[in-house]
Amino acid sequence: MRKFKWMAPAMVAALVLAACSGNSEESGGGGGGGGDLAEGDGEISVTSLWGGAEGEAFQAVLDAFEEKTGIHAEYETVRDDYATVLSTRVTGGDPPDIAIMPGIGFMRSFARDDLLIPLEDLGIARADIEDRFAPGILDIGTVDDVLYAPMVKFNSKSTVWYHPNDFADRGIEVPETWDDMVALQDNYDEPAWACGCADTWNLTDWFESIYIRQHGVEMYDQLFGGELPFTDQSVKDSIAEMAKILNDESLVGGITGAFGTTFTDAIGQTFAADNQAWLFYEGGFVGGIALGQVNEDLVIGEDIGWFDFPPINDNGSPVTIGGDVIAAFVADSDVAEFMEYLISVEGGTVWAEQGTIISPIIGVDSSVYPNELISQEAEQVANAEAVRFDGSDLLPAGSPDLGATLQTAISNPDGIDQALEEFQTGVENAFADAEG
Amino acid sequence: MTTMETAVGRPARTMSERLSRFVAKAPIHVALIIIGAIWLLPTIGLFITSFRPSSEILSSGWWEVFTGRWNFTLENYETVINSQGMGQAFINSIVITLPSTLLTLLVAALAAYGFAWVDFPYRDTVFLVVVGLLLVPIQMTLIPLVGLLRDIGLYSTMPGVWLAHTAYGLPFGIFLLRNFFITLPRDLIEAARIDGASTWKIFRTIVVPLSVPALASFAIFQFLWVWNDLLVALVFAPRPGGLPMTTQVNSLLGTFGTEWHLLAAASFLIMLVPLIVFFSLQRYFVQGLLAGSVK
Amino acid sequence: MSTAPAAASTSEATGSKTPRILQGWNAAALVFIAPAVLLLAVFLIYPAIQTIVLSFDGGLSNYQRLLTNDPRFLNLTFPPRGAIVNNVLWLVFYTGGCIVIGLIVAVMATRVRYERIVKAIVFLPMAIAATALAVIWRFVYFPNERSGLLNAILGIFDIGPISWLGDANWVNFALIVAGIWGSAGFAVVILSAALKGISTEILEAARVDGASESQIFRRIIVPMLSLPISVIAVTLTINVVKLFDLVYVMTSGGPGNASSVIAVQMYEQFSARNFEYSAAVAVVMLLILVPVMVFNVRRFRSERVVA
Repeated sequence: MRKFKWMAPAMVAALVLAACSGNSEESGGGGGGGGDLAEGDGEISVTSLWGGAEGEAFQAVLDAFEEKTGIHAEYETVRDDYATVLSTRVTGGDPPDIAIMPGIGFMRSFARDDLLIPLEDLGIARADIEDRFAPGILDIGTVDDVLYAPMVKFNSKSTVWYHPNDFADRGIEVPETWDDMVALQDNYDEPAWACGCADTWNLTDWFESIYIRQHGVEMYDQLFGGELPFTDQSVKDSIAEMAKILNDESLVGGITGAFGTTFTDAIGQTFAADNQAWLFYEGGFVGGIALGQVNEDLVIGEDIGWFDFPPINDNGSPVTIGGDVIAAFVADSDVAEFMEYLISVEGGTVWAEQGTIISPIIGVDSSVYPNELISQEAEQVANAEAVRFDGSDLLPAGSPDLGATLQTAISNPDGIDQALEEFQTGVENAFADAEG
Repeated sequence: MTTMETAVGRPARTMSERLSRFVAKAPIHVALIIIGAIWLLPTIGLFITSFRPSSEILSSGWWEVFTGRWNFTLENYETVINSQGMGQAFINSIVITLPSTLLTLLVAALAAYGFAWVDFPYRDTVFLVVVGLLLVPIQMTLIPLVGLLRDIGLYSTMPGVWLAHTAYGLPFGIFLLRNFFITLPRDLIEAARIDGASTWKIFRTIVVPLSVPALASFAIFQFLWVWNDLLVALVFAPRPGGLPMTTQVNSLLGTFGTEWHLLAAASFLIMLVPLIVFFSLQRYFVQGLLAGSVK
Repeated sequence: MSTAPAAASTSEATGSKTPRILQGWNAAALVFIAPAVLLLAVFLIYPAIQTIVLSFDGGLSNYQRLLTNDPRFLNLTFPPRGAIVNNVLWLVFYTGGCIVIGLIVAVMATRVRYERIVKAIVFLPMAIAATALAVIWRFVYFPNERSGLLNAILGIFDIGPISWLGDANWVNFALIVAGIWGSAGFAVVILSAALKGISTEILEAARVDGASESQIFRRIIVPMLSLPISVIAVTLTINVVKLFDLVYVMTSGGPGNASSVIAVQMYEQFSARNFEYSAAVAVVMLLILVPVMVFNVRRFRSERVVA
């Protein structure tokens, strides 16, 4: 019937608009519970941006799932252009059954366009799974009170990487406070810190770790929830704290050098055989890259280790995390079964055993992690007084890059006000787009 | 276009003449060698890097190998080549690129001939619109096309990819070839016409044979473009199992890190086929481009 | 130079007054043009119209925001900043650089016996995929002497190190150099081919008359190359406005917003599913190029007359 629709642009336009506003035939009417789910065909498609070791680990989970249920999951990695490709396929009407969502803002924009299947429509009620997760974890994947996307893996972003042997040799204590951490540089003649600040998310992680400790979780929630503007004095205060370490005296290559260094290269500077830097702040995933790609001779606990990002004042040391959520675009029984498996202790355990992720599922025992770097990381998050998600990932998709703004603010302190004003303008536009 | 002899001129007769010529040209040699070195060095760096272990890539520059410290390794290539589905991806690259190139060549040549030698109303306006389409960003075309190709059953099929690549390559192809075709000798075409040759026959027996260089040069451009494409394949190629080499690299890379060692090896593997094509067609290439721009 | 094209060109230039040597054009034209027009209509024209329609979703608000309230796109402080300003930088230096390198190599290479090798080397980067560019240039621009070739070389002279991609003062030029490296081959090939059209007799005659090499270059070669140079300039200008891959893989527009360009802005908005807004950016890209295309078409028309 629609065979020659391209000959009538008006019709096509209407169709595309319809496609944009949601594929109602597939979302099963919404809120209908699990009983009326379409029967699956024994095969599901899963898209993510995990390749390499992460991809292999996830494949192990898929294999275990197939072993258990007989449902085959066809896995596709898209890395470059992930957002474009996923967005195009979904909006064009050919979504994968299940997709990993990079960035919560991205997931929300799909949810607001009614393209995602609520978990409830897959027969999974929030009340039934609430106690499997730490408090607040499921809120991350909730949009307008509907749970779409449970978090299935995460990493701590409150880990500061160092050389334990070097600390022992120099008689340095692991810092207990932010001031101690700033003072670490005094033990070295040359700059001791590396930053892969060319990858701007490294800077946002620095900022978030400082902000949440300096101003507390409430203001953190307000700032990244759009209730507190980025032009607020508290933001400038945290940037000033950042600059105590991210400066020409403490960074290998100085500020501009760090801005021209990628994340992986910064790990190289810190942990390669002939290392120039001794200290590096980034998330728990640094360990896997350092051991796997940078230097296979590293000995855990001697050449490589991490300590908690220390508290700044009496706001304590809440832990920030980054992670991925999984959402369904199609509702059928196979998809429901897969989703249920991923949020089960069984599935979480298989995944955790691979050593690339921390499972957010409480029932996954910390003893299953293959090395102490990761099991400690799991414990850090489990024992944290408060856990918050990576703030920049919570901003609506289309927001300007916070890390890029921080680059401007740090390299040119006189321009901070203007940079933050421009950023705030962009964030407001993005919030408006997300709601409108 | 008609003067094919080079400015090198007639051969030098005596030793001293040769020498004095060489000295006179010394600045030219120096300049060309410097430019050649600048243009070659980054690629040589990539090539050497692809044979170094990742730990060394992350701690020192590739020129370190000339100081004798080179733990030569084929591991990067092994990882890339042995990755799941690499052989299939190579075949897919060929299956996507060859028809996409040939089809574009055919359709563009036909249209270019039409715009150059067949009279029809609004010819120049239509030509202007076609050339103007060079400006449309591909990203903006994707979403409407996914829906459309699904409806006509071509989405996620090889013919769908071929047609997409053909369409995206047409504006430049028509532009380039039309500018060549209008420089063909009018007398020749007119004579053939008077002899009763059909428009089609003129195209086949006069225009195409005389335009081999232009056609070859455009073919290489199109080949390079399709071979190196990532986005069009990710959206339109059949899944699973129909994706080309450029997308295959995805499955080797993690979320956070940058695997320079694998990227270097993969880049070279992907470059290999275009280089072979380029060098085997270079002579056509150099002549062909002369076409569009020079009278 | 041959005379045949001149005949063809004259008739082209006069358009409809041309005696129609190919009568019965109706059927013929359809056969030759139809496949291309059909494909273009489906794959480019129809989405282009959609894009334009989409960009006006919400009236002119997308354009209003783009031009007045999006400092990343255009910031009319002094000095002006924003993606569009960087495109202008590219336009001047990238286009100019490619043509200068193209001229140097093309003119000089015709006078040596390893001409084809030099041209092949300069053309080589055109065979390299955009994703590989980030890898290649990482080893050149790395901000220290250990891993960055450029800093290692400067280090010999005790200069630097400079963070080519991390310093807002350098990043655009570092990217433009990478761009010239990638595109100069195009200019070289066209220009050297054009040079072969200049008869050697003219050059020899000028030399016999005692003209210096630089005089020959300025007085004879450059004027005769003005047409191909304009062709290259127009093609490269289109490249500049659509420029995306190189910037995106090497800096994503950073540090700060220092190296962003229009197409990167469009891509980011598109990825964020702000389709209407990215459509507006795309339309602005198109509008910027309209004068270029008009110039282009005029150029080709006059070219036909001249030839």
